[in-house]
Amino acid sequence: MNVAEALVMVMQAWGIIGAVVAAVFLTIGIDRIDADARGAYIFRPLLIPGVLLIWPLVLWRWWQTETERAAWAERYRPVRASYGIAVVLMSLGIVAIVTLGLSVRQSWPADIAPLQLSEGARQ
Amino acid sequence: MIEKPFFVGYLPAPGPLRTFLLTVSILLIAGLGIAGFLMGAAQDDPGPGAFRFDYGRQTVTGVVELTPYPILHVTQGDDRIQPGDSFLMTAGGKSGVDSRAEPLNGQLAQVSGVVLERGDLYMLQLRSGRNGLQAAEGDAPVIAPEPQGRWKLAGEICDGKCLAGAMRPGRGLAHKACANLCLLGDVPPIFVSTQPVLGEEFLLVTGANGTRLPRAAYDYIAQFITAEGEITKRGDLLVWEIDVDTIEVTE
Repeated sequence: MNVAEALVMVMQAWGIIGAVVAAVFLTIGIDRIDADARGAYIFRPLLIPGVLLIWPLVLWRWWQTETERAAWAERYRPVRASYGIAVVLMSLGIVAIVTLGLSVRQSWPADIAPLQLSEGARQ
Repeated sequence: MIEKPFFVGYLPAPGPLRTFLLTVSILLIAGLGIAGFLMGAAQDDPGPGAFRFDYGRQTVTGVVELTPYPILHVTQGDDRIQPGDSFLMTAGGKSGVDSRAEPLNGQLAQVSGVVLERGDLYMLQLRSGRNGLQAAEGDAPVIAPEPQGRWKLAGEICDGKCLAGAMRPGRGLAHKACANLCLLGDVPPIFVSTQPVLGEEFLLVTGANGTRLPRAAYDYIAQFITAEGEITKRGDLLVWEIDVDTIEVTE
């Protein structure tokens, strides 16, 4: 398996797990942790793309809220504490990727001349 | 207690925030502009390839030969395409003309379309259906292949259509995915040699023994490689039968 196939397989696995999480959370989980969602169904399909992408966070928040492990306010507070670090790391990541991409780029092998290994049948 | 400035959308921005906003805006706009310029400047020259709509529609007659990619050896040209020329053909989009050319293999045919040109390389994007390719009256001369021996070449495999001018850039890593899609759609692959081979910089590249370019070679498209294979001259076009097992990626 080459790198491209591995990347596609990882994305497919991520999406399949996300679809399962979305199916379970949007039919069962959301009713258990959000009283305002009970009886409301039209908006739920709109959440599917988001759940597909961030299903680990959905599971974590669901578990936190369901088990009441964190204080009430903490359970509903958006996870913003690490946003600053994430922004800095992603910015540096972009610069690093561009720099790495440019530095490992192949150079045109202009100095390699064509080499005749054998002559043609009619030459 | 120091009062922190507080922004309210419908009120004028407080003094310190205004300065901050102005500074960030200027840095952001200038920074993005500089970054865009630097990334653009770091790219290779896309070359002179282009659709030549300014030439107008070209209609010529010649012998169709499958290598297996279809070539037309011109017998009756026009003001731009001379008798004796050999060129490759493509359809619109990422498609070749194999299904239309196969019934006409070895026969005289009239083709019509627009030229894609990049230096010495040119091909014709044919009109759709029979308007683009149809049998013509007359006897087809036999085009004898001329073996030129086995060669080791350095360069890059590209899809012929984008290289000739359908895309800018039409080669290089930035174009790899597009090139692979074009080749999957039966657009003829072209090898760009680092230095002229028998006077030509561009060679049609096929698999061994007149087969299509093997899928194993697709992983190396748009990378700079060396490889070995037999070269045959067909009309005035060089065809390189690449030996996939000899492909090596250069530094």
